[in-house]
Amino acid sequence: MNAYFAYFAKRLVQFVVVVFIGVNLAFVITHASPIDPVEQSIAAVTSFGSTAPDAIAAMRSSLQELYGLKGTLAEQYVTFWSRVLRGDFGPSLSAFPTPVSALIGRALPWTAGLLIVSTLITWVLGNLLGGLAGYYQRSRTLKLMGVVAMGVHPIPYYIVALLLLIVFGFLWPVLPITGGSAMNLQQGWNWPFVSSVARHSILPALSLILIGLGSWFLGMRSLVSNIVTEDYVVYAETAGLDSRRVLGSYVMRNALAPQVTGLAMSLGGIFNGAVITEKVFGYPGVGTLLVDAVYAGDYGLVLGVTTVSIIAVSVGVLVIDLLYPLIDPRVELR
Amino acid sequence: MAVSLPPATAQGIPQNIPRKELLILENPEGTIKNAGWFNIWAINAGSQSNGLQQAALDTLWYIDPEKGLDGAWDNSLAAEKPVYNADFTEMRVKLRRGLFWSDGVEFSSADVKATVDIQVKNPGMRFSAVLANNVASVETPDVETVIFKLKKSNSRFHTNFTVRWGAIWILPKHVFEKVEDPAKFDFNKPVSLGAYTLQSFDPDGKWYIWQLREDWQRSSLGRHGKPGPKYLAYIDPGPPDKRVIAQLNHELDVIHDIAPEGMFTLAKQDKGTRAWFKGFPYGHPDPTLPAVIFNTQNEHLKNRDVRWALALMIDVKAVTMAAYRGAATISAIAVPPTGIHPEAYHKPMEAWLKDFEIDTGKSKIKPYDPTVGKQIADMLRPSMGDQIPSDPAVIGNSFGLGWWKTNVAGAGELLTRAGFRKQGNQWLTPDGKPFVVRLMVEGDLRPVMTRAGTMIVQQWKQAGIDARIDVAQGTLLTRRAAGDFDAFIGWSVETWGGHQDLSYFMDSWHSQFVAEPGKPQPLRNWQRWTHPELDKIIEDIRKIDFDDPKGVELGRDYVKLMTREMPIIPLMAYNVFTAMDQTYWKGYPTADDPYANPVTNWGNSRYMFVRLKPAN
Repeated sequence: MNAYFAYFAKRLVQFVVVVFIGVNLAFVITHASPIDPVEQSIAAVTSFGSTAPDAIAAMRSSLQELYGLKGTLAEQYVTFWSRVLRGDFGPSLSAFPTPVSALIGRALPWTAGLLIVSTLITWVLGNLLGGLAGYYQRSRTLKLMGVVAMGVHPIPYYIVALLLLIVFGFLWPVLPITGGSAMNLQQGWNWPFVSSVARHSILPALSLILIGLGSWFLGMRSLVSNIVTEDYVVYAETAGLDSRRVLGSYVMRNALAPQVTGLAMSLGGIFNGAVITEKVFGYPGVGTLLVDAVYAGDYGLVLGVTTVSIIAVSVGVLVIDLLYPLIDPRVELR
Repeated sequence: MAVSLPPATAQGIPQNIPRKELLILENPEGTIKNAGWFNIWAINAGSQSNGLQQAALDTLWYIDPEKGLDGAWDNSLAAEKPVYNADFTEMRVKLRRGLFWSDGVEFSSADVKATVDIQVKNPGMRFSAVLANNVASVETPDVETVIFKLKKSNSRFHTNFTVRWGAIWILPKHVFEKVEDPAKFDFNKPVSLGAYTLQSFDPDGKWYIWQLREDWQRSSLGRHGKPGPKYLAYIDPGPPDKRVIAQLNHELDVIHDIAPEGMFTLAKQDKGTRAWFKGFPYGHPDPTLPAVIFNTQNEHLKNRDVRWALALMIDVKAVTMAAYRGAATISAIAVPPTGIHPEAYHKPMEAWLKDFEIDTGKSKIKPYDPTVGKQIADMLRPSMGDQIPSDPAVIGNSFGLGWWKTNVAGAGELLTRAGFRKQGNQWLTPDGKPFVVRLMVEGDLRPVMTRAGTMIVQQWKQAGIDARIDVAQGTLLTRRAAGDFDAFIGWSVETWGGHQDLSYFMDSWHSQFVAEPGKPQPLRNWQRWTHPELDKIIEDIRKIDFDDPKGVELGRDYVKLMTREMPIIPLMAYNVFTAMDQTYWKGYPTADDPYANPVTNWGNSRYMFVRLKPAN
């Protein structure tokens, strides 16, 4: 038990260090951006044209003051960390004065809902089919699935997404192609809205599942193909155990460990948002928020999203690291 | 589940609203991050093109870039044009009576005064600086009179309250006076002074629905008639391919702007789609002027001969083909060929342009070719057939008049006079280095201009310049302000369109506002160009009334100076491919009936509401 606590403490320290370095890198990178949020704002608010140059100069000064960009980089760094520790990322510059946390809070449920469901479906289906294909290697159906998975896997995501859009949005227009729900519905736990959300998520989810399925399928098939040659599996089969029991208790259980790690990292990664998915399908999630923030030079929002993402991925990895020794006896604590 | 429900693309039709009562328009701002903000007087707080400025807000005057419902100028909240005193230090405004906010409070001079006072008191608000810099005080001797006392002489002060696409909107005093911090007030739900009120909106910023006020007669639009659509939906329909699909499925009545290819697809596949021009070139010419904008603080580009040499290396026909597939309206002069300008500037200056001569030091050349617009039309006729007009007047309006003849030899003579020399096919600068010109383009954020820039770079390369494309993507605004470019494709000339006055951009071109290298440049003189003659023209314009005919003469002097000096190479109007579906609505503004700018995000697109009628 002492060895586990030592392991726990070591992993916890690593977690803190990784998060600290990651967030600092995010701070440095965003502040090295050549995009000036003040100029972006000036361009937006003066686009009606008749603003005199001296007024613009005054506006530039006001905005720098308002956005807190007048201090030195060191002062901004200290302010940033003091806010992060309080869970406050300050106001968004491109949507001033809305707090960054409010914007993330509004976008996150969309991203999480779509990605958690599609990731879990993809993971379960991919591993199940991959496991079966690795174990029942003579099945023609499963062989065909392997061929399809290998064929679909390398296709760029956006090609699949656009094909789905054209097929189900134009040639056979039965599914909505943009947005998270239909217009003029009251958001909440009511059937018209929930069913509309489900309907709007079909195409983005399908595109994610189609592309993601292949890698889980191929990975699991490969793992199972190796495990079936292990002595303990051969012994179990020779002993006359039921093949379903061999597959479930001896093969899949041992093959799943690395796949669970992958799942945890995938789930942690959803806080990045599925940038391309959200852009292609106009889905109102964190990915869209992040891309728009980058273009607007919105330091606060970019930092907010990346910090949440760094913490989420790190937590995912930490949880897996801490659970591993408990669920897999092959992991040695040193 | 999908197949059991009715067909739907895009986000479908708004629920519980009859389609025949609904006009669906594109909000080009896309998805709005802080969707619940309607305080347009706060910086960056929410959308303004979601119907807020088109349907709900109002101000003193409008100038349409086209002909307008009853002339380009429209007294909106004001009852008449502004009246200045002799030295333009006071502006008196007479307001209309009988106009009401949507909550039943009558509009009055107190609202106008509050609009100024509140923003001056709160420096972080959108129009604070422009008002604080100009206004000494506002007096309201009665409910229908406002007197602006100005800090300095300004014959164009009223333009701050004059909509072309936006302006200083009048805020409701009775709402804002109760607010602790006006800059942090969301104004949700907005009280409307326009003909519509907010019905509902998406908290995630994808759509906004507005409903016609029952008392629409008590808005300033009311005097033009009852608006046709009972409901307006401003939506984010997604990227261009989805806009096309949505319109083909009749779920998006007005597309703000799509690429030429999208427009061609719609014109081919949907006979109900209408653009500004019925046939080629379709697009509505924006009152802006895309041009090659030089950084005239660049050592080599300070020289007029060098700038002219680069202009003479361009074949604008190839540029229009690359950018717009020929669907462009070219302009040789530094005024967009749109609205009133062809009559005020382009046509009257043809004779001068034909006689205009450049002395290269070795020869004298007359660079203007009045037939370039016709050449473009002729070039397109074999592939586009009847869509290409044959009437010279229509060709002139659609494709433009003349441009500069490509003259690489003449360009070489100018470069030689500037001290450059040619080694092989490579032009070297006076100090013996390759002549590098980086042409900054915006990238896929503005594909038409990017394609134009790419073609120009190719042409310069062929002529021996070490030209390079410099893709700025999201950094263009920052780099443009900082002067971090040799040249870029964009516009620094932007006009009223429906009025010949050039103050919209020109005042900020005075040398007093040109920034030192490396310092941010105030709006719209990105070329950082100064000239004593230009200063004189600007100062003369400042001293005359907005409608003074002398303004056109001064404008023509400006055009001549710009032609001689070539600080920007004018290319063409920024054609906006606004596609309008006639399945549910008819009566859109078009080149045949140019009563309003059709572009959905402009404030004056509200005028189309009163002309639209159900198609069936």
